[in-house]
Amino acid sequence: MIEFRNVSKVYHTGTHALNQVSLIIEKGEFVFIVGSSGAGKSTFLKLIMREETPTSGSIIVNDIQLEKLKRRKVPMLRRSMGIVFQDFRLIDKMTVYENVAFAMRAVGARPRAIKKRVPYILELVGLENKAENYPSELSGGEQQRVALARALVNNPQMIIADEPTGNVDPEMSYEIIELLHEINKRGTTVLIVTHEHNLVHSFNSRCITIDKGVVVEDAMEIKPSEGGQV
Amino acid sequence: MNLSGLGYLLKEGIKSIWTNRMMSIASVGVLISCLLLTGAASLLSLNVSNAVDKIGGTNVTRVFLSMDVLDDEARYIEEDIKRIDNVVKTEFVSKDEAIKDYQESLREDIFNQLIGEGNPLPHAVDVTMEDLAQYDRTVENIMKVQGVESVRDTREIAEKLTSLQKLVNTMSFWIILALTLVSVFIISNTIRMTMYARRFEISIMKSVGATDTFVRIPFIVEGMTIGAISGITTSVLMVFLYDAIMKSVQSIAKFELLNYSEVAVFVSIAFVGAGVIIGALGSMLSIGRYLRKEGNELLGW
Repeated sequence: MIEFRNVSKVYHTGTHALNQVSLIIEKGEFVFIVGSSGAGKSTFLKLIMREETPTSGSIIVNDIQLEKLKRRKVPMLRRSMGIVFQDFRLIDKMTVYENVAFAMRAVGARPRAIKKRVPYILELVGLENKAENYPSELSGGEQQRVALARALVNNPQMIIADEPTGNVDPEMSYEIIELLHEINKRGTTVLIVTHEHNLVHSFNSRCITIDKGVVVEDAMEIKPSEGGQV
Repeated sequence: MNLSGLGYLLKEGIKSIWTNRMMSIASVGVLISCLLLTGAASLLSLNVSNAVDKIGGTNVTRVFLSMDVLDDEARYIEEDIKRIDNVVKTEFVSKDEAIKDYQESLREDIFNQLIGEGNPLPHAVDVTMEDLAQYDRTVENIMKVQGVESVRDTREIAEKLTSLQKLVNTMSFWIILALTLVSVFIISNTIRMTMYARRFEISIMKSVGATDTFVRIPFIVEGMTIGAISGITTSVLMVFLYDAIMKSVQSIAKFELLNYSEVAVFVSIAFVGAGVIIGALGSMLSIGRYLRKEGNELLGW
């Protein structure tokens, strides 16, 4: 599903963000990308979303070689992925419902399909009662779930969550990851970028650790048998 | 894209005009001024062309006879002129008829002194030539006829008018070009501000995979609507302004003006069309650059 082949990224400022990164993420996986800030996580995401192209190496997402992908084909690539941002990026003047519907409208969905799909997704993330609320009336965790609903609504093959727990309290963090886990069980590939090692330890999942632009560890995390503390 | 999707985009574009109404009003105002000026320039140019065509289109040359030529003699002279090669038609204009042309522009007591014995005008013959290319030679032959005093050279007037026409056309062209550029710039600035105000939405649209066309349409709709509103308003204003402008032009140079009703439809279509095209151009100009930006760069973070 996602393959990095000796990918390096050097920004024009001279920053070496990624250095010879090679990895494969299969369809249906649940993967954490862990690293401290400045490790190259954001660059990793930007490369997958094709906001940036690699300086060298090759990136393949859904059998598409991204560095060769034409600009006008980029939207189609992005429709295969749902992005959840750390800062939620909800539109303040729109209700929860409208925020989610907006993502469907943006890809030209029919009103009838929107009417059917949005309530279903809101229920999935447990926000069916907040549809008419505005983002400012919600807690951090709820806002993050709206962002997740928006990422899910177009039925992407993978969900990419950038620090999904960065702006919510620890208890909520756990719930959000649980929710992502649920979504993964339905067959969606989930990629979570985070700097919180604690969170990762609570789940039995593959964890790719990046440091200074290099993959330093790629292993299955074994959930502690008792009391998975967050 | 389905129809409902397009409807949504159109609505978004028009909504945006209201959301940024101060900026929209400002651009409509500037656009109206530009369209009025370009419209006035075009109409002036059109009128001059029309006048030149009318004058240039007549190949009638007035031949003045000597003052001492009497009525009977004048008739013989007319016959002589008629026989000249290239002359197809002649029409005798007696001094009594000629003076009548001045009746309106003169005070009554002065005019009264000029009729009859006091008439300062000579008899004349209006000559229609077949081929204006042979004008010089024909005039030469006419001048040879006994009793012919002078020939009024209409070509000179036509030439002067043609050069005036060229001047007016050139000026109009530059005025129109400059003001069109100003208008495109104004619209593009307005749209850029709208895009800036909506950069957050654009970034989300792009992240979920909206195509460039999809992102672009509301802004183009906005630009075109601003253009159309300006065009319609200008068309209405022009009806009232045309007379005022043309009257002031006429006070400088007197010539027959086009009746506004003759050109109203054409002018209105041109205004609205120009407004819409300028609006579309202006928006596309700012969108193109904006759409190339990605993620945080787009948001300016």
